[in-house]
Amino acid sequence: MTIWDKISAIDRRWIYLAMAISIFIPTIVVIRFPVEITVESRQLYDAVESLPDSSVVMLTFDYYPSTLAETEPMSIAALRQLFRKNMKVVTISHIPLGGPSIAERVTRQIAEEFGKVYGIDYVNLGYKANYVAVMHGLASSIEAIFPSDWSGTPLKEIPMMQTIKCYRDIKFIFSVSDNATIDYWISIVNAQYGVPVGGGVTAVSAPKMYSFVEAGQLTGLLGGMKGAAEYEKLVGVEGTATRGMDAQSLAHFLIIALVIIGNIGFFATKHRQG
Amino acid sequence: MKTTIPLIVAFLSGIVLIFAFFFNPDRVFIGAAQEVVLQWMTIISGFALVLGVVSILRVNSAKVKRREAGWHYKLATVISVLVMAIPAILPVSSKTFGGKIFYTVFPENSASLFGTGTGSIYDWLFNYVDSPMMETMFAMLAFYIASAAYRAFRARNAEATLLLLTATIVMMWRVPIGEAFLRLFSTQLPDYINMFLMNGFNVAVQRGIIIGAALGAAAMSLRIILGIERTYMGKG
Amino acid sequence: MRHLLNAASRIASLTAIFGLALADSALAQDFGEEAFIAERTVMVVVIILFASAILVFTRWAKQGKSLFVRKIPGIDAIEEAVGRATEMGKPVLFIPGISDVDEIETIAGISILGRVAAIVATYEAPLMVPTRYPMVLAACQEAVEQAYIEVGKADAFNKDSVRYVAGEQFAFTATVNGMMMRDRPAANIYMGGFFAESLLLAETGNAAGSIQIAGTARPEQLPFFVAACDFTLMGEELYAASSYLAKEPLMLGGLKGQDFFKMLIIISIVFGTALTTFGAGEWFKEIFNVP
Repeated sequence: MTIWDKISAIDRRWIYLAMAISIFIPTIVVIRFPVEITVESRQLYDAVESLPDSSVVMLTFDYYPSTLAETEPMSIAALRQLFRKNMKVVTISHIPLGGPSIAERVTRQIAEEFGKVYGIDYVNLGYKANYVAVMHGLASSIEAIFPSDWSGTPLKEIPMMQTIKCYRDIKFIFSVSDNATIDYWISIVNAQYGVPVGGGVTAVSAPKMYSFVEAGQLTGLLGGMKGAAEYEKLVGVEGTATRGMDAQSLAHFLIIALVIIGNIGFFATKHRQG
Repeated sequence: MKTTIPLIVAFLSGIVLIFAFFFNPDRVFIGAAQEVVLQWMTIISGFALVLGVVSILRVNSAKVKRREAGWHYKLATVISVLVMAIPAILPVSSKTFGGKIFYTVFPENSASLFGTGTGSIYDWLFNYVDSPMMETMFAMLAFYIASAAYRAFRARNAEATLLLLTATIVMMWRVPIGEAFLRLFSTQLPDYINMFLMNGFNVAVQRGIIIGAALGAAAMSLRIILGIERTYMGKG
Repeated sequence: MRHLLNAASRIASLTAIFGLALADSALAQDFGEEAFIAERTVMVVVIILFASAILVFTRWAKQGKSLFVRKIPGIDAIEEAVGRATEMGKPVLFIPGISDVDEIETIAGISILGRVAAIVATYEAPLMVPTRYPMVLAACQEAVEQAYIEVGKADAFNKDSVRYVAGEQFAFTATVNGMMMRDRPAANIYMGGFFAESLLLAETGNAAGSIQIAGTARPEQLPFFVAACDFTLMGEELYAASSYLAKEPLMLGGLKGQDFFKMLIIISIVFGTALTTFGAGEWFKEIFNVP
């Protein structure tokens, strides 16, 4: 076996090892290149900024714990922007496994930073099965779908919810999602009820979402950890996404290097075989 | 008969729900009918869960009994199912009928351990066992993507070359170091990538696939509703 | 009890397919006093046109008109892959996606499974079908059992070849990956709705040395299958696969009807784009604005 054969067929375990090292290095050495803002992230940020102070915004936690690295920094940055502008935040989740408890944990943590009070400045509605029916139901009455919040307190007893009855009272929906629920926020809530929807999704789902941004159905888009890092920069507080950019940069460059090496081996072998 | 009745039910259910789309549910009986049908679906899904639990327990315990290769992993599966499920379905209050019986045997202050609420066994297992395992599995994508890209992105022909060049450009553009590198060639380059690759070619392709798939799904639904396609119920 | 549950799950799945989305969208909206929702008339026209196209082509197919359907290499490869499994004495692994039966992709996957199971039964190759949802389990068991009965191999059917694995996405993935590495299937067939696990499954299957054929309508997962599988069915090919495998004129008629309707959509897009480019497209856009 020649060197060319070897580099065109590297054992996958070496590749895994190289990837592990490339992710590990940034934990020791910080490189920190500046994060550039894309048009889609700017559009989302501006849309939220343009809302009058104290508007009601629905923030969705439609993600599983598996994608926390990409999605949670988006929620955190969004909450910082919303609380800074004194918005009233209603959180909701369509994910039974973990969604509402992530919403609870993250929202409380950021609310404490800004001195916000539960029930006055924010409410966690929690989870309800059958998301398509829930999205439609919220159009006529939030209370009919969620008679109580995540902790079981009746909405009647929550001061903030006295003036928030349905989509008419919500100025913007900020959807953070790692699955197809964002498609429904767009096709049902935006298309049929006219509420502006913006959002963040995992890097894998982002290419599909561009068509909705282009069509004006999605007001801005954050794609994966890079999108989250951009939003952190816009909001002005660096978080885990910005710190993760070094590891992601090295990982991407490793893949590019592997592709180049593979092709060198491929052409050299092909050339030798005539 | 075994196929005919479900086919009739299927046809009627489909027709009712399609018609319901065009009529005001508050004014026409069809609105109420569709709600009943949708409730049925939720109830039946709940019952069907029993099938899943029975299947997982039967298949794995049979392997444990026969001491097949790797039987101890099957045993771990059976134990995990029981440990996760049983505390979650136990009553959380002595006010219910089941709770009254249960808490005559067990102390009532253990109630917080049961159910799925904060502080329960289920909640603890979910947060500290299940959730990290999910994250680990998702993180493995980084490793798999590297080996798949290394193997698949070979410039075998013109199309494959185009694919690997596009992938390389997008990978560079999506990270700060790559973006800085691209700006060495032109300060506008990252913006052009976003404009032409992502908002141009990408959007066109995505829409093409989505429209095609939606049509395929609609045609398949129609074939099923009319009884032309029956393979899903075991008839060719 | 089992038959009752099977029948019930069938009814529920069919209910879901035939218009869950449509039905849901009529709930909780305020349409005033009118009984018929006039704003949705355009949808009536679209449904009638689409259904007519399918039925006309199906009728032509019944009458014996020859209908050309292009070759789909991924589907042609299925029989080859099953043959290879038989020669090697190794199983065929079929995953009908990880969505529940209320997704039409899952139903497409189960339909293909029915066809594949018939081939597998004919060749007498072992079959493994892991499922993520109990309703999918019931439907798959029924489809596979019937396929074995139809090719006269009822005795060879093993109920546990179709089994429930786990409801959680990555627990399902980990278990199936384990099956791939331990049993080394000769062929892995992925047909249905897949999400983040697509590459985890396909890459493990590749490492296990299996022939891999995938099909999904989810554009975001297609690149992963293309990179790691030998053949990939994209978008509508997934829905066409069952008809294509059936090789019956009746089923192929449906595909031609679909193509005809797609031509209408392409014409509408070109026409609409031209009108909008010249600033006269507002009325045209309004036609398709359905609440």
